[in-house]
Amino acid sequence: MAALPRRIIKETQRLMQEPVPGISAVPDDTNARYFHVIVTGPEDSPFEGGLFKLELFLPEDYPMSAPKVRFITKIYHPNIDRLGRICLDILKDKWSPALQIRTVLLSIQALLSAPNPDDPLANDVAELWKVNESEAIRNAKEWTRRYAMDN
Amino acid sequence: MTTEEYDTEMDYSDSDCGDPGYEDYYNVHPWDGEGDNDIDNDQSRRDPEYAVYDCLRIEEVERLLNEDVESLSNSLHITPSLAKVLLHAHNWALQDIIAKYRTNASSLFINSKIKPLPPLDSLSGLKSQRSGLCSVCVAIQSAEKFSTLTCGHSFCKDCWCMHFEVQISQGISTGISCMAQDCNVLAPEDFVLSLLTKPNMRERYQQFAFCDYVKSHPQLRFCPGPNCQMIMRSKEQRAKRVMCSSCKTCDLIRNCNNFSFRCGIDYHAPTDCNTMKKWLTKCADDSETANYISAHTKDCPKCHICIEKNGGCNHMQCYNCKYDFCWMCLGDWKAHGSEYYVCSRYKENPNIAHESVLAQAREALKKYLHYYERWENHSKSLKLEEQTLEAIKMQINKKVMNYSGTWIDWQHLFAAASLLTRCRYTLQYTYPYAYYMEPGPRKELFEYQQAQLEAEIEDLSWKIEHAETTNRGDLENQMDIAEKRRVTLLKDFLEV
Ligand SMILES: [Zn+2]
Ligand SMILES: [Zn+2]
Ligand SMILES: [Zn+2]
Ligand SMILES: [Zn+2]
Ligand SMILES: [Zn+2]
Ligand SMILES: [Zn+2]
Repeated sequence: MAALPRRIIKETQRLMQEPVPGISAVPDDTNARYFHVIVTGPEDSPFEGGLFKLELFLPEDYPMSAPKVRFITKIYHPNIDRLGRICLDILKDKWSPALQIRTVLLSIQALLSAPNPDDPLANDVAELWKVNESEAIRNAKEWTRRYAMDN
Repeated sequence: MTTEEYDTEMDYSDSDCGDPGYEDYYNVHPWDGEGDNDIDNDQSRRDPEYAVYDCLRIEEVERLLNEDVESLSNSLHITPSLAKVLLHAHNWALQDIIAKYRTNASSLFINSKIKPLPPLDSLSGLKSQRSGLCSVCVAIQSAEKFSTLTCGHSFCKDCWCMHFEVQISQGISTGISCMAQDCNVLAPEDFVLSLLTKPNMRERYQQFAFCDYVKSHPQLRFCPGPNCQMIMRSKEQRAKRVMCSSCKTCDLIRNCNNFSFRCGIDYHAPTDCNTMKKWLTKCADDSETANYISAHTKDCPKCHICIEKNGGCNHMQCYNCKYDFCWMCLGDWKAHGSEYYVCSRYKENPNIAHESVLAQAREALKKYLHYYERWENHSKSLKLEEQTLEAIKMQINKKVMNYSGTWIDWQHLFAAASLLTRCRYTLQYTYPYAYYMEPGPRKELFEYQQAQLEAEIEDLSWKIEHAETTNRGDLENQMDIAEKRRVTLLKDFLEV
C-alpha cells in the first residue's frame, strides 16, 4: 500500500487532538483510510439521545474525490436510505478538495438536525415527513430508541 | 473492384469519373451560410426531402468553432480559452455575448463562471499562496509551485493536476471548477492544459471538451449512427429527416438542441421512424421463415431452366428460351409494362375475418412475405447495381482507351446509375410503409404510385444494363420520369 498522504495524516491528527463536539472518528488499526465514526443525535431533534455508528472511507484519490460515508446504525430519516447511504450534496457534485473529514461529519450532524424531505433518498420516509410530520417524527424517535440507544 | 485499383491502372482521378453513390444525392445541398429564404421555401416545395444541412467531419467542426472563438477573443480582447468558456455558457450565441459584454462585462463574467461572486467568502486558496502552504495537500512549497485561477484561488500545481485527472476520469471537462470550497469558477482550457502532464489525459480532456462544445451548439449534433464520427449541422426550424453522408443513418434534425429524439436507423423515407423500428424488429423475428425465399436462383417459368439473378433489374430474360418475365412474381414481363403494374401490390383476402385462426396466421405470413420479399429484393438489387456501376466504369474505361468517344461522352451513364440507386433506395423503403398501411383509398393511391415508380425503375435499370444499345436521349428521358415518380410519391406521403 502506498504511503499515507500528508493531508490524511494531518487531518487525522487534528481529529484526535481537537475532536468535533458530539462526533468521534477513529481510524481503524489496520487501515488508516477507514474511520469508525460515532455521531451523537443532536439536541432537540428526534435523534436526541441516540448514538449513531457510521463508517467513513477515504478513497485512493482523496481529497480529489469525496470520502465515502454510510450509516451503520438504522435511522429513520428522509435523506438516508435503508442501506445507510446519505443524500448530501458535498458528498457528490458539491465536493471540493478543500473540504475535510471534519466538514463532512459536521454536515451530517447538521442533516440530523434539519432533515430535508424535498431532496429525498428514502422516498416513503420523505413522503410521510411531508404529509404527516408529527407521525414521521414519532417514527424517528421510536427508531432512535430501538436501534441507537442500548449499546 | 475498388476505386484504388482503378486509379492506379488509369490516370483518371475520382473527380473525373464521378463515382456517384446515393449518398451524394442526399447531400447535394451546400451549406449556404446565411441562406436565401425565398429560395429555400421554393426548393422545399419542389423537393419534399429538402433540408439545409451538412454532414461535417470533426476537423471541419473544429475549424468552424475556432472561427467563433477567434472572433470573440478578438472583439473582447480575451484569451481564446476564456472565449470558449463564454461561448459554451451561451450556446455559441456570439452576438449575444458581445451585447452582454457591452452592457455589463463583470456580470457577464460572473454568470459565465469566469469571475467569482463578490464578496469572496472562501479565502482558503488566497491565504495559502502567501504562506506557501497548499491547503489541499497541506504541504509547504515555494511560490513557483503554485498556480492561481481567475478567481484568485491558488493551489500547488500537483494538486491542480490531480484534481483535473480525477474530474476527467469522470468524464468532466468544460465543467471542471476551482478546488476552493464554494467557488464555482471554471478552469478554462489553457489553465487545465498547462497543468495536465500525462498525454493521454490531455487527449481525453480535449475529446470531452469537443463533445461538450458540439452538444452546447444549437446547430450541431453528433450522428446517431453506431461508431460514426460525423456531425450534422442544420439551421432548420422544423424537424427534418436527414441522412448521414458517411454511414447513411437516419436522423431528425432541427435548429434546437433539446430535441431528444434520435433515430439511428439507415435513412428510410418515406417510412417514418417508428414504423421502421417495428418493421426491422419484425424482420429480425421472422427472418427464419423468410429465409427460404431469399435465394438467388429461380426457374424460368417457361422452360424451367435454372436462372441466376446477376443484375439488379427485375426484368429477366431467360438465356435459354428468351422469355421475358418478372423476377418477383414470375409473370409475363409484357403485362408489367402496362398502366397498372400489379406486381408490387398485395391483394388482401377480403373474407379473412371469417377464416380459421390457422388460415389467418397463414394469410398474415403470406402478407408479410409479400412485402418482405420485395424489400429484400430491392436491397439486393441495390448491391447488384453497385457491381453494375463498377462494370460500366470498366467498359467506359475500355472505350475511352480505344478512342470510342471521350470520358465526357459517357458521363450520363454514371448520372443514370446513381439516379437509379436513389430511386431504388426510396422504393425499397416504401415496402415497410405499405405493410403497415390500413387498407383503403390512401393505401390504394400509395400502391398505385409505388407500382408506377417500380415500373419506371425497372425500365431504367434495364436501359442501364443494356447501355450499349440504348439511345442516350431515351435513357435521359427515362431518368427524368423515374425521378419525377419518386418525388411525387415522397411529396404525397413523406411525413416526419
Ligand atoms: Zn476559486
Ligand atoms: Zn497541493
Ligand atoms: Zn453517420
Ligand atoms: Zn428514422
Ligand atoms: Zn426459359
Ligand atoms: Zn412481377
